[in-house]
Amino acid sequence: MSPVRGTAVTARVGVVLGVAIAVCFLTGLISHFIQHPEPWFPWPTRPVWLYRFTQGAHVISGIAAIPLVIVKLWSVWPKLFERPVIGGPVRQLERLSILVLVGSILFELSTGLLNVAQWYVFKFFFTTSHYAVAYLAAGAVLVHVAVKLPAVRRALGEPIDTVTNGATDGPTRRTVLRGTWLAVAVATVATAGQAVPALRKVSLLAPRSGTGPQGIPVNRSAIAAGVLGSAYAPEYRLIVANGDQVRSFTVAELNALPQTTHRLPIACVEGWSADAEWTGVVLADLLAAVRSPVDRDVRMISLEPPGPYSRTVLPSAHARDRMTLIALRLNGRTLDADHGYPCRLIAPSRPGVLQTKWLSRIEVTQ
Amino acid sequence: MTAMRFVLGLAGIISASWGVALLWHWPLTVLVNMALWALVAVVVHDVVFAPLCVAVGWAARRIVPARWWPSVAVAGLCTGVLVVLAIPVFDKPGARPDNATVLDRDYHAGLLISLALVWLAVPTYVLAVRRLPVRQDDVIEQQRTDDVAGEPPSP
Repeated sequence: MSPVRGTAVTARVGVVLGVAIAVCFLTGLISHFIQHPEPWFPWPTRPVWLYRFTQGAHVISGIAAIPLVIVKLWSVWPKLFERPVIGGPVRQLERLSILVLVGSILFELSTGLLNVAQWYVFKFFFTTSHYAVAYLAAGAVLVHVAVKLPAVRRALGEPIDTVTNGATDGPTRRTVLRGTWLAVAVATVATAGQAVPALRKVSLLAPRSGTGPQGIPVNRSAIAAGVLGSAYAPEYRLIVANGDQVRSFTVAELNALPQTTHRLPIACVEGWSADAEWTGVVLADLLAAVRSPVDRDVRMISLEPPGPYSRTVLPSAHARDRMTLIALRLNGRTLDADHGYPCRLIAPSRPGVLQTKWLSRIEVTQ
Repeated sequence: MTAMRFVLGLAGIISASWGVALLWHWPLTVLVNMALWALVAVVVHDVVFAPLCVAVGWAARRIVPARWWPSVAVAGLCTGVLVVLAIPVFDKPGARPDNATVLDRDYHAGLLISLALVWLAVPTYVLAVRRLPVRQDDVIEQQRTDDVAGEPPSP
């Protein structure tokens, strides 16, 4: 076996991998609790790019973990064949815990990578399984760190290359470490362009080039949502309701209301994001028209037939924010069908999947 | 350190238990599919990917001159990573006719270009190192002081 394998490499790559997994886990939790709100989790409306940042970091740290996992597993692979192969109960427990650790991390990284490319080849639902197994993976990592902490501290305190190892003609451990950081950089540059505009042109393996109708990518098309007929129907009305206070607006009436333009990012749970100029009616003004109190959450209902994202709830903090728009125009032109014509929600610092498109009804929760 | 290890271990057990609790009432077929997915991932790594890397490394080491070997090994690692990242996009298996904004690059060309750049960097690096007036890298390679190169490039 190669003499450059060893705890010196394992510990150092492990520390960086631990940081990547921690970032990935925490940003993943943030995204989960925005989509499944809890009273103890208030998500701010500023800065407007906050969700864009956390979810970009989620996917970037997950992809950066791939080369780190490859090198870390390489550095310990010979341990797989250490004797005794079966051993006593303690040995078996140790092997089982490593199996849970590696299995759950590979599960998270592989399903995440496939989800970003929308390749649903697995026979289970992505979001719920990715979420549940994340706790398993994070727990296995913590137990692993607890077990290995003395070995990690010892390894970090010792020189990277021993004399015998450094005297070989091959790469030193220092080269392995530098190569690993380089591979992390290569993986990041190859994919991060869907979240980092500066890398857009060089991210040759990113699932999105960052363009689309009106310069913005789409996650759910109007055809997939089955709304093309109802969105362009002459009898279309946007209903705004607060109990028995109900107002109804045609597209022309919405266009006749005072229009506001804001530059806001659209940031998808799949990690891509893009800045755009949105023009429309301030949601708070529409809510004022039905005498809604400012401390109410607001339900957004789409023309899309009932499904997981055809109805979403906008927290009161976002609902009363003057930057939250019912957008009618995107980058200066009428909304494309795929971007939610006739009108859609666009609020600061929210996942794209909750920026409900093809709005038919806005309800103040009672 | 003992107290810290205890806290870490306890936090780990609580987190993992919460994960198991979330999965507890799921249909057995779904759980089996998930476990199989994770198990196949482990097996593919341990008995296909890892031995393949060892074999390629063993063979390459007998062909590649010693001075070239470190950069070739690093390029090999980058190749492996790029290939893994290319798998879900290469033939666009997730593409749908109604949405042209997903998987909208030429990934065959993308993989080819990125691999070409990685492998072009190998001779460039080896030749650049040879032309350096002071063999700075050699000096660093031979250093035996404490590690100061623990930082990854910021992503």
